[in-house]
Amino acid sequence: MSLSAYVIRRLFYVIPVILGVCFLIFIIFNVVSPDPTISMLGKHATKAQVLELREALGLNRPLYMQYVDTVKSALTFDFGRSWSTKQEISEMIKQGAIPSITVTFPAFFLSFIISVALSLFVAFYRGGMLDKSIVFVCVALMSISSLVYILVGQWFFAFKLGLFEISGYEEGFPYFIPYVMLPIVITVILGVGPDVRFYRTVMLDEIYQDYVRTARSKGLGEKTIMFKHVLKNAMVSIITYVVLRIPFLILGSLLIESFFGIPGLGGITLKAVNSSDFPVIKAMAVLSGIATIIFNVITDVLYVVVDPRVKLE
Amino acid sequence: MAEKILEVKDLVVEFKTDRGKITAVNGVNFEVYKGKTLGIVGESGSGKSVTALSIMRLIPNPPGRVTGGEILYRGQNVLDIPLDDMRTIRGNKIAMIFQEPMTSLNPVFTVGNQIEEVLELHQKNLSKQERTDKAIEMLRLVGIPSPEKRVQEYPHQLSGGMRQRVMIAMSLACEPDILIADEPTTALDVTIQAQILELMKKLQDEMGMGIIMITHDLGVVAETCDDVAVMYCGQIVEQADVKTLFGHPRHPYTKGLIESIPSFDSTTGGEKGRLPTIEGMVPSLFELPQGCNFQNRCAFATEKCKGPHGEPKLEAIGSGQMVRCFHPLS
Ligand SMILES: Nc1ncnc2c1ncn2[C@@H]1O[C@H](COP(=O)(O)OP(=O)(O)O)[C@@H](O)[C@H]1O
Ligand code: SF4
Ligand SMILES: [Mg+2]
Repeated sequence: MSLSAYVIRRLFYVIPVILGVCFLIFIIFNVVSPDPTISMLGKHATKAQVLELREALGLNRPLYMQYVDTVKSALTFDFGRSWSTKQEISEMIKQGAIPSITVTFPAFFLSFIISVALSLFVAFYRGGMLDKSIVFVCVALMSISSLVYILVGQWFFAFKLGLFEISGYEEGFPYFIPYVMLPIVITVILGVGPDVRFYRTVMLDEIYQDYVRTARSKGLGEKTIMFKHVLKNAMVSIITYVVLRIPFLILGSLLIESFFGIPGLGGITLKAVNSSDFPVIKAMAVLSGIATIIFNVITDVLYVVVDPRVKLE
Repeated sequence: MAEKILEVKDLVVEFKTDRGKITAVNGVNFEVYKGKTLGIVGESGSGKSVTALSIMRLIPNPPGRVTGGEILYRGQNVLDIPLDDMRTIRGNKIAMIFQEPMTSLNPVFTVGNQIEEVLELHQKNLSKQERTDKAIEMLRLVGIPSPEKRVQEYPHQLSGGMRQRVMIAMSLACEPDILIADEPTTALDVTIQAQILELMKKLQDEMGMGIIMITHDLGVVAETCDDVAVMYCGQIVEQADVKTLFGHPRHPYTKGLIESIPSFDSTTGGEKGRLPTIEGMVPSLFELPQGCNFQNRCAFATEKCKGPHGEPKLEAIGSGQMVRCFHPLS
């Protein structure tokens, strides 16, 4: 089977998965969750008010219609309007995605490059002082609460030294840069610790494989062995691990965005949760579900590309 | 007399383990000649692979270390030379193939790429196209059908026997002086084993390299070797040319090994030389006995063998035969 035929077939399998994810989300939001009108109108609302609101929100429509609506929204990305701001949700997503991405994408690529480089480095000097100290620093970085990085970063680097903006956001390149620097640095610091440890294990696994002994017996130097033979094998595991994170990048980080006042999808989601803005929360759930499904397909395809052992079936 | 290319002198290799220090190779001597095959035979754990890896300087350190002796390649002690110089010898002058054909090749590179890599390293005058042509030629030489196609395949697309052929092609690409084959056919089935051994012999005739054939199978020794060293607990216990060793073994262990080969003559038939069984257990390297290491399994052991006179020395007995025994068989 050719690669394109494989991709097309994989995409066909996506259809039932999307229907299933929509069903799950529909069950959670339209069937089992508490009546949203209660939190919207308060305890003292009259029956008439409640009924009127339910009608307005479309909650009196038959359940199967509500499921069809869910699927339709997943396919058209038309999620209706927010209950609290009355804005088009697709419009909100479009506006929120950009600030989120300006933080998460650079942070993702930086931490990927730094982690792979560091783990190659520690695997190369395995067992030595350098290896041990870097692993120690990784564990130390992981053990500190993310709030500490945020508060210290905002107080010391942004407030005292004035290197970055403390919080807020400005649209358009290059105006957003001073606002996203600190969030990016903190996201990288938070990500590098666990990643280096995981990649290091993957690489150490490879270093003791027979093909490495063969490479040495050919007369190759340790650097070529690490950067060519070990790295390419390690990438097979690392890629799956990394690509599956990409969908979550679009949604942004709830924590970072709320602390830094970045008007991204993370912040929007948080606000929606606080105000029981069901359509918005639901849109986010659908969005992350679909993104995950798509990136699963991408991972599978990448697998085929990087690992010649994976057969197209 | 053929030209001597390798001489191992009093080689000692130690490993530091959690349970203490062991001497995996203890005072081993042998020589390898151009166009000849030296067999090293012995049960599992007798120090064959460690001996081979020492020649390549590939003993994992820690835990292992060569603590004594010399390894003279064309008169030069490879244990003394800088690692960078050693790399110009590995894969170029001295090449090695391993017991595990399934895992010895890198799964994510094509076999062509892996053969070209060794050429790129040691034959810098070749162009890219010449390297590719040479890789195809090597695959043809080791009997891989349609090598132009196979050169672009990945190891998993080949059978175990084919992969070992690729390993042989790779190891011989630079026409080395010495090929070390560490149980090259142990993981393969009998018919494939015979084909691979035959191939190695044919290539030796064409290219003239010296071979160190490591095996636990005396059947393989009988088929391929000119000289043999029998190892036990890190030492050579008997050494002779093949004819003498099989015709007139002097060490009780050698004799036991020969007797326990099932249907010795049928090496070309279906029966594969099984792991020879001699009663008793190989002593642990952590608690070697006083005296002769073989005493607990030896039918000829006397009081003398059990300690007071130290261990037996490897001594010449007859022309070119050496034996490590207080009471050599007549
Ligand atoms: N990496 C290692 N760590 C510790 N001990 C080892 C290692 N490799 C070999 N040894 C020791 O050396 C002995 C000989 O091993 P080896 O040369 O592999 O035997 P074989 O004759 O089966 O090839 C083993 O019994 C083991 O005790
Ligand atoms: S020295 Fe003694 S125990 Fe050892 S092999 Fe010879 S006869 Fe047997
Ligand atoms: Mg071995």
